[in-house]
Amino acid sequence: MSESAAPLPPALVAGSTWSRRMSLLLAVLAIAILPLLLRDAYWRTNLIICAINVLLALGLDFILGYTGQLNLGHSAFYGLGAYASTLLVTQLGVPFWLAFIGGVALAGLAGTLLSLFAVRLRGHYLAIASLGFAVITYQILVNWIALTQGPLGIYGIKPPPPIVIGSVTLVDFHNLASFFYLVAGFALVAYLLLRQLVHSPIGEALTAIREDEVSAASLGINAAVWKVFAFGLGATIAGIAGAFYACFVGTLVPDAFSITESFSILSMVIVGGTGTLIGPVFGAILLTLLPEILRAIGDLRLVVYGASLTLVVLFMPGGLAQAVYLLRSRLGFRSRGGAAR
Amino acid sequence: MTVIVVQQAINGVVVGSLYVLVALGLTLIYGVLVQINFAHADFVTIGAFAAYFLMHLIGANYLASIAVALLVGGLCGFLINAAVFTPLRSSRSELLPLIATIGVSVMLQNVMLAWLGPIPYAFETPYSNQVIRIAGIFLTWQSVIIIAVATTTIALLYAFMKFTFLGKAVRAVSQDRETAGLMGINANHLIMLTFVIASALAGMAGAMLAPVLVLTPFAGTSVIVKAFAIVIIGGFGNVEGTILAGLLVGLIESFTTQYLDPGLIDIVVFGLLLLMLAIKPTGLISERREENV
Repeated sequence: MSESAAPLPPALVAGSTWSRRMSLLLAVLAIAILPLLLRDAYWRTNLIICAINVLLALGLDFILGYTGQLNLGHSAFYGLGAYASTLLVTQLGVPFWLAFIGGVALAGLAGTLLSLFAVRLRGHYLAIASLGFAVITYQILVNWIALTQGPLGIYGIKPPPPIVIGSVTLVDFHNLASFFYLVAGFALVAYLLLRQLVHSPIGEALTAIREDEVSAASLGINAAVWKVFAFGLGATIAGIAGAFYACFVGTLVPDAFSITESFSILSMVIVGGTGTLIGPVFGAILLTLLPEILRAIGDLRLVVYGASLTLVVLFMPGGLAQAVYLLRSRLGFRSRGGAAR
Repeated sequence: MTVIVVQQAINGVVVGSLYVLVALGLTLIYGVLVQINFAHADFVTIGAFAAYFLMHLIGANYLASIAVALLVGGLCGFLINAAVFTPLRSSRSELLPLIATIGVSVMLQNVMLAWLGPIPYAFETPYSNQVIRIAGIFLTWQSVIIIAVATTTIALLYAFMKFTFLGKAVRAVSQDRETAGLMGINANHLIMLTFVIASALAGMAGAMLAPVLVLTPFAGTSVIVKAFAIVIIGGFGNVEGTILAGLLVGLIESFTTQYLDPGLIDIVVFGLLLLMLAIKPTGLISERREENV
């Protein structure tokens, strides 16, 4: 997306250390308190879906926003993580967390391989190749009935085993609040990890590649290596989301991982603001909750996603992050120590 | 045995010639703008539904409905260029218009879903049941009409691009927009013209594909997937390549259905696409500028 996304001033991308610690504290508090405030199963379910979508959006944003690769195959990595972790448990009897790692690793490996294959492709060609990968993965999930049960789906997937010390059950993941803490904890760690990466020399290399690959190469940056790295890491995070999705919902059908799902995740990233990490977090939360709030009108989830995708690209290509920045500068607020990038 | 092969080859060519119409639209737009309209295949769906309702509500003639679907498609092309591609031209971005039209596609499909429901529509034409039999091979009048209309359209388009002033101007804009502008060609008008022609082809193809497709609001998804495969295999912006690749995909589809499993069509077609990208990705890109027609 080299010239596309409005480049955001560093002040928005990185606040001072102090304000960073404050916002981290706020995030931890929000995660801790939300399930206590929202006690009914419906809203707690929505919270968990939010956390899963945050993971998906973070992974895609790292690929699209920081290396400019339009990946339309994110749903495939999501699906691979979900199906592989589940099948390892149900078919081979692998313990849950080992299967979890296996599923996540497979998603990451698939992302790395696709990226290695596609590293010579750019722009539209990469978009189409990744779309092709998503279509093939979906069709395999539908057609390999012996393994995946096809459209009939896999039922009765169990949540992660409870954490037991002695004879005392410390944490039971049948409890929605516990499950939320688990997924939100992973999302927070993923966010912090990516933020650390983005503000390290690696992040600078990635941004240089996004802005101008040829100039980056002249600075001695091996663009191919970093693009593959970003793609693989983004796919790995999608795999984590998939593994959690499977054992949270308890049912797997291929339709959850059709290309429409890729487009939904893309909407969250674009609406939040590509190339910032915090934007897609809020984009994911907004686009998960908004259709629930609008449910009275009818099931318009995907209409909302499609419309917001188009409208944001046309009128506010920097997404929510850009909107907040414009609002703040209009009101006269300025972050201190903004040049921390 | 040979009868089956010939029969499937004919079926493949019939469907393939419709895919050619759809993919040619994508390729023409890519030629002048180096952009992809992701909602292109939804214009196929809209054309199909336009023809369906014209025939079932007003009782219109099938051939007349094809003509109306062509007009509806052209209107869609006009709208999407005016609403999305023209405003985004100034961003000079390669990916933003693609992302915006993904949004348009998702929106169109789900608005149609809310309106028309998920149950497939049975699109029957009076020509589907009229069969000609030649040496053991069956040919419906529907197939004859498809091949006649598609061939005529492709020939007319080819003649338009090769011999008319406007067609030459479109090719000039494809090759070098700035120089074309210096020669007094208004690139904006020609881009609009290209969008209208490209989308009219999609709408028209929809009216003829409808009896073959499972006609739901999501029909466009399977079509766009194949259209992408065709333009990549044929070379983006390359008209002759697109025609060959379209027929090839039609043949692959009908032989996969006959000898393997209809569920594998997308896997085979996209596997071929990925293979093509692996073998000569740069070849396709470098060919583009030389071979714009």
